[in-house]
Amino acid sequence: MGKTMRINTPIDVSVIDQLDVRDRVLLSGTILTGRDAALPRLLKMEEKGELSPLGIDLQGAVIFHSAVSDAGLGPTSSNKEGIENSIIPLAKLGVRIHLGKGELSAKTIRGLAEHASLYAVIPPVSALIRSCVEKTERLLFPEWGMEAIYKIEVKDLPILIAASKGFSVYD
Amino acid sequence: MIDTADMEMKVIIEKIAEAVVAAGSGTMAGRLDALEAAIKEESDEASLWAMRQMVHNAHCASDLTVPVCDDTGIPHLYIELGRSRALTGKMLEAIREGVAEGLRRLPGRPMAILGGDMERLDQSGVLSEDPGDVLPAPFLIRPVEGDEIRVHVLMFGGGPAIRGKTEAVFHHFDTEVIKEEIVRWATDAVHKLGCTPATLSIGIGRSQPEASALMVEAQINGCYREQTRFEQAITDAVNKSGVGALGIGGKTSVLATFVRIGPQRASGVRIVCLRPSCCVEPRKAVALL
Repeated sequence: MGKTMRINTPIDVSVIDQLDVRDRVLLSGTILTGRDAALPRLLKMEEKGELSPLGIDLQGAVIFHSAVSDAGLGPTSSNKEGIENSIIPLAKLGVRIHLGKGELSAKTIRGLAEHASLYAVIPPVSALIRSCVEKTERLLFPEWGMEAIYKIEVKDLPILIAASKGFSVYD
Repeated sequence: MIDTADMEMKVIIEKIAEAVVAAGSGTMAGRLDALEAAIKEESDEASLWAMRQMVHNAHCASDLTVPVCDDTGIPHLYIELGRSRALTGKMLEAIREGVAEGLRRLPGRPMAILGGDMERLDQSGVLSEDPGDVLPAPFLIRPVEGDEIRVHVLMFGGGPAIRGKTEAVFHHFDTEVIKEEIVRWATDAVHKLGCTPATLSIGIGRSQPEASALMVEAQINGCYREQTRFEQAITDAVNKSGVGALGIGGKTSVLATFVRIGPQRASGVRIVCLRPSCCVEPRKAVALL
């Protein structure tokens, strides 16, 4: 087992450098959520320069591949096409941690390393995650309900680094 | 004056709603013991970390009566109808209403897409904010001995639906061939699932709908404490993959296998339905009417 660290968002590249596969992290601060529908649309908005005017900055961000609803939060499969295809473009824009579940392709894991970005996993423990979520706010695409992009405040969210520096727990 | 027919419908709605909440927030008997046994066997620290959280989460969901997983799933109902009982259309309506009420209480995840066929297909329709709009799958009904109506409520999440499959297997008149094909499918499925350790739910029948129905029966009748030789052999073979909890490596990728074998046709083919139920499934409860 790796080391355990407490980190806060936004995340600096120097923090990413310290994290290795199998390290456990207690994550605090503001993070974003997004899934299959929202992440490709988020990227299109960025391409058109529409995020900055809304005050949305992806530098140092964490994106949790989760729905948000009164049923709670929990990881969806990050290897679904709409999600995995968004990971490297989002890493290029400064997203430092992509949080979800499931094995990613070797190509995605290599791409993460090239852009100082990590993949982390969290068990589907929605009843426990409740106690780590302090605030939720629907940020973009409200018509998509639980699939919208949310901004959430978390305290000590327990995650495991699954891919870092070109290595992964799936090797 | 009290309308007894109305009272009867209200009782049905209440019992089904309670079953939906119990299925979504509870843990099937025997699964926590199986998980604890897997923890005792495990030496991979990361896998242990994940499984201990799963145990803690199950207790927490049950104690607080909140969803054990935020993907509360699509309700699937299986009705065992006692031979001396009758089931009316009005009762079926009350059962549907009970499902909607249960989803609002749980609360279920509001994931119903509104709109016409095309809007629902490409998700261009808006999402309903009402968990009760998540409609149950068509009901399965089977006559049984006795004078009870048992309504089994099962909640099917999305991850296993992506990795499940229902296909023909040419068996070469050898059960080993079927077993090996299931092991091959299941190993690939649990590898990609993410939410492991899984429980494999398998139906073997003569057509795709029959195999799917048998898979549901496998979940209803499956038992963690009593595994047939066929079930144990599948579990042991898939566990050799080393996928482990959360797919991060470890000794236990599958806690158990539940198989239901139906009638078969004289033919070289069997139809196999595999659902790699995730670490919170089967999520089920039963209402007695």
